[in-house]
Amino acid sequence: MIAFLRFEITRTLRNARFLVMLIVFPVALYLIYGTQKGTAQNLTIGTLVLVSMAVYSGMGSAMFATGPQLARERQSGWMRQLRVSPISTPAWFGVKLAQAILMIIPGLVILVIVAFALGHVHLSAARLALLVGVLLAGAIPFCMLGMVIGLMFDGQAAQIAQMITLIALAFLGGIFIPWNNLPGGAQMVGKALPSYHLAQLGWDSAGGFALHASDAIVLAAWAAGLAAIAMLRWRQEATAAA
Amino acid sequence: MTTIQSPASGAAIAFRDVTKVYRPDVRALDNVSFQIHRGEIVALLGPNGAGKSTAIDTMLGLRAPSSGEVRVLGGTPAAAVAAGKIGGMLQTSGLPEAAKVGELVALFRKLYGSARSQPELLALAGLTDLAGRPVDKLSGGQMQRLRFALALAGRPDLLFLDEPTVGLDVEARRHFWQSLRTITAEGTTLLFATHYLDEADANASRVIVISHGRVIADGTPTQIKSSTSVRTLRAATPGPDPAVLLTLPGVADVRVQGDAVAIRSTDADATLHAWYALGRPIRGLEVGGGGLEEALLALTGADAGTGQSTGTPVAGAVLAGK
Repeated sequence: MIAFLRFEITRTLRNARFLVMLIVFPVALYLIYGTQKGTAQNLTIGTLVLVSMAVYSGMGSAMFATGPQLARERQSGWMRQLRVSPISTPAWFGVKLAQAILMIIPGLVILVIVAFALGHVHLSAARLALLVGVLLAGAIPFCMLGMVIGLMFDGQAAQIAQMITLIALAFLGGIFIPWNNLPGGAQMVGKALPSYHLAQLGWDSAGGFALHASDAIVLAAWAAGLAAIAMLRWRQEATAAA
Repeated sequence: MTTIQSPASGAAIAFRDVTKVYRPDVRALDNVSFQIHRGEIVALLGPNGAGKSTAIDTMLGLRAPSSGEVRVLGGTPAAAVAAGKIGGMLQTSGLPEAAKVGELVALFRKLYGSARSQPELLALAGLTDLAGRPVDKLSGGQMQRLRFALALAGRPDLLFLDEPTVGLDVEARRHFWQSLRTITAEGTTLLFATHYLDEADANASRVIVISHGRVIADGTPTQIKSSTSVRTLRAATPGPDPAVLLTLPGVADVRVQGDAVAIRSTDADATLHAWYALGRPIRGLEVGGGGLEEALLALTGADAGTGQSTGTPVAGAVLAGK
């Protein structure tokens, strides 16, 4: 199990797209926006943007653990080969979930270092620990989302679907632009998305404000719903005449 | 070390009345029954679409039969797979991206509980010099060797190889069968599907022929070969007329290309006699056949009921499952 997890993480870290899109890109955005002085939403700009970028990087990294890679490996027949090996389906799901959670760490660590060094951010150990915990747990629904995308789309289509989904989640969830600045309809949609609620939890953790149970409940509901869809698709595929 | 077990210790694979229906009109397997004993080396032959891959998929638990029962090593296919007792080399298995050969082999070793050492596994598959190479940079033949290494990783009791030597050059094929002999000497039961009939002839202790979802022949390569009297006559004759040649006694089919003629005949003596009697010069005559290829063509042709196969006589005790 551990061997499989290490194998999956090793090859993901070799993927240039992962490193650029989910580490270099948010760090660059942080250097542009996060190093400004000032406050917004009761947080310093540095802290606000740190959470925004960490949520973006975390969402994307968690989806990356499954998503297009799963789509390609279903198509290539690699998943069939795995099904002939002793690794069970629950174990495979477990590895993917662990991988999704662990893979948000590189981006998070780098962002925190950059924010502390250049963004005038000073979070107490307690607040930082809470933020990290929120982001790790918050990876779960996005892992499931990547799994659904990887099981619903084939090859290149999964790549595109994943990018569009990630960008939409970031914009509508109030991560790239403040949610208040969105048009009314977009605000309605955004407030239903897991990205919005993960960002809220992140900002509240970093600012030392009370966390809202409603945010956690919405995230859990997304995780459960997406997991159910993924299981259904998985079972369909296992019994289908592919 | 797996001990070599007598056939009495139970079947490695047992098919009982197995039918697999994909759509109401597509019967990939049609009431198939056979047993493969432990330690046997069995070639599964048949034309494309005959049901070979479906048969292998049901043995691996990748597909459930529509009716009937498949038992593998005394249990369900899923149980045998979960216990790591099965190694499978699938026909269309991709390989994971951004991994190195050695990493992938090491992963499968661990999944199967380190039944073989890494150097042993790499050597068996002829990959020792390629351990550090990214999987994406391998040639087709090298990828095939890597799939072979993964199939062997668990020192499986039962090894499935679906078209294992596709894309391998002569030298690699030789090494491949050499490694397989090492493995079958350990008592591993081997079932392989192939289009290279010389491989089946040279390596299998038993041949099962599937056509249109049914087992149409089952026996040793010698038995299968002697099941047909079909011979192929090749010669050059000026301006051959296929219509005339088809009327010769015993002729099953005729192929003509320029002056070159290839006739498949169920009675080579009678055909030749009548051919010479036509009075045209016949040069460079070769009589081929008695090989597995002719036997297979005769068997599957007769099964398909094509008009040109004129009641191919099939002798011996090799017919089964009809």
